[in-house]
Amino acid sequence: MVLKKLSEIKKLLDNKPVKRLVLGAAHDLQSLGAVIKASNDNIISPVLIGDEKEIRKIASEKNYNLENVQIIHEPVIEKTSEMAVKMVSNNEADVLMKGNVGTSVLLSHVLNKEWGLRTGNLLSHIAVFEVETYHKLIAVTDVAMNISPNLKDKISIVNNSVSCLNMLGVDVPKIAVLGAVEMVNESMQATLDAALLSKMNQRDQIKNCIIDGPLAFDNAISLESAVHKGIRSEVAGDTDLLLMPDIEVGNVLYKSLVFFARAKVASVILGAAAPIVLTSRSDSEQARYDSILLAAATAK
Amino acid sequence: MTVYYWQQLQQNKCTMITSLDQLAEKVKNKKHKLKLAVTWAQDENTLGAVGKAVEENMVEAYLYGDSTLIEKISRKLGIDIDQFNIYHIDNETEAAKETVRLVKSGEADILMKGLIGTDKFLKSVLDKENGLMKPKAVLSYVCAIDVPDYHKLLFVTDTAVLPFPDLEQKVAMAEYAIAMAAKFGISKPKVALIGASEKMSKHFQNAIDYAIMCKMAERGQISSCIMDGPLDIFLACNKKSVEIKGVDTPVGGDADILLFPSLEACNPFYKGLMLFAKGELAGMLMGTKVPVVLMSRSESEKSKFFCIALSCLMADEKSHC
Repeated sequence: MVLKKLSEIKKLLDNKPVKRLVLGAAHDLQSLGAVIKASNDNIISPVLIGDEKEIRKIASEKNYNLENVQIIHEPVIEKTSEMAVKMVSNNEADVLMKGNVGTSVLLSHVLNKEWGLRTGNLLSHIAVFEVETYHKLIAVTDVAMNISPNLKDKISIVNNSVSCLNMLGVDVPKIAVLGAVEMVNESMQATLDAALLSKMNQRDQIKNCIIDGPLAFDNAISLESAVHKGIRSEVAGDTDLLLMPDIEVGNVLYKSLVFFARAKVASVILGAAAPIVLTSRSDSEQARYDSILLAAATAK
Repeated sequence: MTVYYWQQLQQNKCTMITSLDQLAEKVKNKKHKLKLAVTWAQDENTLGAVGKAVEENMVEAYLYGDSTLIEKISRKLGIDIDQFNIYHIDNETEAAKETVRLVKSGEADILMKGLIGTDKFLKSVLDKENGLMKPKAVLSYVCAIDVPDYHKLLFVTDTAVLPFPDLEQKVAMAEYAIAMAAKFGISKPKVALIGASEKMSKHFQNAIDYAIMCKMAERGQISSCIMDGPLDIFLACNKKSVEIKGVDTPVGGDADILLFPSLEACNPFYKGLMLFAKGELAGMLMGTKVPVVLMSRSESEKSKFFCIALSCLMADEKSHC
């Protein structure tokens, strides 16, 4: 099934047990709104950890119904992240979400060697976009987590992303490794890495996907542009995943899509024992809701 | 339009050269005979091969060196010296300079090394002002090898010049071999980039170079070929192995060109073919403005003759195939 809209991800949850989401530092206006809405739509069943008074205050101001919501009272905010992570590692929750707490704080607990959510895989960020001008959902990685991934990191990022896209019904994702140009250029490391990733994919050392690169952004998403340039590629024009060379170009593309192309976006952190919803302050409530949806669909 | 298609048809009619004997036949008895200049020619090996090439009506020979010795050796070999143009010159460096000048000015078409040391000979070829290199070109060596047990000619590089080619040099090697194959009428040769295994590893610089080259071929940065690598010799030259291993490769055991990662890998490979597989070869330097024949003393008489034949084929700019 080819998905065109983020809302279509909900269909993937039909006839499956409702996933349990735990939100630490839950006294967070935007996160709480998205969680309650997702709970009302039966996407997840939430557990909120934090100062119960604060949480109830926000809920009554916003008219949120907390009737079916489990709240674990913990007034010391520093402790809530640890508790949330432990719930996931104890298999009491399927999705972890960041509330009103710094990203580094949450991640330090996620990476805790004793009870964290390490799997041996690199953590990476995936953003799934609904763009009106593209014929299906398109994912972008890594725009938020890995700053300047080397070849080994890129392989892990691809593997994380492929598992995630498989869960979204994309069995053999088409992956475009982006560069500034589609030609191999010895002075552009991104183009060299792209060539190596392509070959490793051909040799089945990176499985369950079709990788081509370097591709420039236009050849990756437009078949016409690829044909015009004489590029023969199974990926060009039908890309499911854009692998960015580094966080700077990735982050700019992410924000360009949101602000210029009015794209809708859902994003999660992959590579941990459970998907982590780690939205940023600037994300809309809709983006948080869609991210919860994405996390629920990709949780084990 | 019709004329264009007719020309295409004519070109397609060109027969492919599939053996070294066929190569020799092809360059014999041409109307315009090519001129071969030999540097420091008083050498049995050299004179034997040149004599045969002259007798077979392949080239006109211009021999530079000690004229007394040249005549003496020729007589000993039973070669008619009247068919040679012999020029006496006192020392080998001067002979190299003069013969290089000759081919550079177009007075001769092909240069061939005689008794002179390879390093001295190459020094003249590589000389920046008076030498024979194309601008910024890499000097490399390609052999066309005829092995009875392989179903086609094998172009192998680099058997003689580059010890540890880097990416740029490997690309040049591939392009030279592709250009040579084109002269044999193989328009889209299958190029196998040879390694110990077909797996990619970032710890092997050669595998990394190969992956980059494959992508360059895909993107048309290396043109007119089908390229894959790393591949081991089995996957490159044996269809059965490809089936057994289940490796998806466009070369598929049907390689025309084998590109080796180093001289130390390539040189023993070709010598093994000569010694154990009854191979014969035709090889020459690549990257020069005119063909340069340079061969090892241990090559068979036949191979030496084929080297001259190959240089004739490569010198003939008009031949498409």
